[in-house]
Amino acid sequence: MRIAFLFAILAASTYYTYIAYADLNFLSRTGRLGPGFFPRIVGTSMVLLTLWTLMDALRAMRGTEDNSGRWRDLGALMALVLLYAVMLRVFGGFVATVIYLALTLTVINPRKHLQNAILSVVVPIGIYGLFDKLLNASMPPALFDILPI
Amino acid sequence: MDIFSDLVMGLSLAITPINIAYLLVGAMVGMIVGVIPGFGPSAGLAILLPVTFGMDPTGATMMLAAIYYGAMYGGTITSILLNTPGESATVASTFDGYPLAKKGRAGPALVMQAAASFVGGTVGVIMITILAPMFAQVSRSFGPPEYFLLATMGMLTLIVMIGNQWKLGLISALIGFALGTVGVDLETGQGRYTFGSAELIGGVYFIPIAIGLFGLGELFYSFYVGMHKSRSGTMVAYDKEKEFWPSAQDWISTRWTMVRGSILGFVVGVIPGAGATIASLMAYSTERSLSKHPERFGTGEMAGLVAPETANNAASSGAMIPLLTLGIPGSASTAVLLAAFMLWGLRPGPLFMEQNPELAWGLIASMYLGNVILLAISIFAIPLFVQIIKVPYRILGPIIVVICALGTFSVHASFIELYLMFAAGIVGFFMRLYGFSPAALVLALVLGPLAEEALRQTLTISRGSAMIFVERPASLWIIAVTIGLVVLLPLLGRIGKRASEAEKAGG
Repeated sequence: MRIAFLFAILAASTYYTYIAYADLNFLSRTGRLGPGFFPRIVGTSMVLLTLWTLMDALRAMRGTEDNSGRWRDLGALMALVLLYAVMLRVFGGFVATVIYLALTLTVINPRKHLQNAILSVVVPIGIYGLFDKLLNASMPPALFDILPI
Repeated sequence: MDIFSDLVMGLSLAITPINIAYLLVGAMVGMIVGVIPGFGPSAGLAILLPVTFGMDPTGATMMLAAIYYGAMYGGTITSILLNTPGESATVASTFDGYPLAKKGRAGPALVMQAAASFVGGTVGVIMITILAPMFAQVSRSFGPPEYFLLATMGMLTLIVMIGNQWKLGLISALIGFALGTVGVDLETGQGRYTFGSAELIGGVYFIPIAIGLFGLGELFYSFYVGMHKSRSGTMVAYDKEKEFWPSAQDWISTRWTMVRGSILGFVVGVIPGAGATIASLMAYSTERSLSKHPERFGTGEMAGLVAPETANNAASSGAMIPLLTLGIPGSASTAVLLAAFMLWGLRPGPLFMEQNPELAWGLIASMYLGNVILLAISIFAIPLFVQIIKVPYRILGPIIVVICALGTFSVHASFIELYLMFAAGIVGFFMRLYGFSPAALVLALVLGPLAEEALRQTLTISRGSAMIFVERPASLWIIAVTIGLVVLLPLLGRIGKRASEAEKAGG
């Protein structure tokens, strides 16, 4: 997984560096340092350093431990967080939060149905009161309004 | 005399009902943030920053600063009662704090940590009051070359402190610099890495990244290490009625410890990159080497708790000096504070105290009040925090996700920023897991645009010659200090690490 993460950084930094050299000029029309000056330094350094780290990581790859048990709950939480991101756009801040909390608490706080149900309703009401009423900050609007909030 | 009148003016601004209310809220929230294991001041500040947007800047900065130093107070409660530091700066407080609690002295330990935090915090603010105007005076002659060198110094010291993993720290910083280049280039007006998106023209906004990395990333990591499965049953109970207050001997035996811890903590705090964690470990190590009974350390010695507590609070104050007078944050928390200042159109730096005396001195004065409020809260609201510790992480976690998401959206009502925050959360988790430095990324994201602008201005002034950096006395001084720090900081880090390892080996 570490190697995959380093490869992802390498890919992103290579693309960043490619744009710095291909699209951004080192000097501006007036002969001053242009928009590509800093990105080229940053990008090149990033590619070289990531390559070096990747080599080290590949050499030390033997005997990595299996932590699959640890990933189970985290994987579920991450999936629910991503689902929440989608639901915020579709159902808006309040309804998405109620659904997200109900689902997440059911998964990670099992068999406490009453506690989970109360929290899934009370917390969004509290947060709605804080953000929307007290602080006058906007909550994500819904594409499909289920509740007139 | 000038300082005194400025301070009085600051106090007159800070002592208003609304500002005291903000301070109270900030102090309470800071302590709660400190109490939640895995959540440090940077996470608390980033998550709560959007909440302050509707406030007046003076009150908002006071509240954010109170969250920042309040987290140090709160982090120790779990160190003493649970043997689990609320954040890294309170690791050293577990060495003697938890053994004290197990001996049945949890009450005196909690009161002494509050008193030590108060002394450290207050000594730190007194030193800010005296030194900040002097620092501002010196830095007034700084130009673009010096600002570039200062930004480089801030990054280098942070990376050097990472130690063996410096390559990962440097990659993290470069990712931050890269993100900082997104948006329209201010000199030429050309778009960079915007991919035609109107939302990216202004650049990658700092708040979603900070909330994602520190808030969501830390939360994912806590779930990964199984914090949501741990029970609070191992918490040491304390008796509020009997043996709650420290004995006279506790006060007498630690009076010089407080003085030493405060001074050492402040000095280490001023150094960019060193921070409260190193300060607390160094103070612990120093105190043990000066003690007539070093063998008692680790078994429940009051000085072993007081030393790191005074040091980490004094260090938090010390870190405000480079932020206020140079505009250079030395840590992730102060980087979030700098971003907050910039959001209100304020630019900390040499002229900040001169151009915004109300805000600067109001903030400093509020830190005196904040420490008094925190002292009272830490002693009398302990039962409340004990109840918060008892809330299982599996319930707190999803609520934190909701606050991160809605807090991010509330800033600009932007779904792009919301998705950026979720992405930063996942990236932040992997960074934390594989030894990268989210703090270096955030610091570079804040310092990157400043460093780039300063470097381009410098090379324009010098017509492309890098010799300008060694031709100006101020630049030479900064280079010398940077070299000194790069050599010295790993040694300080090693002292702290040795103290930590000795404690682990001992018990």
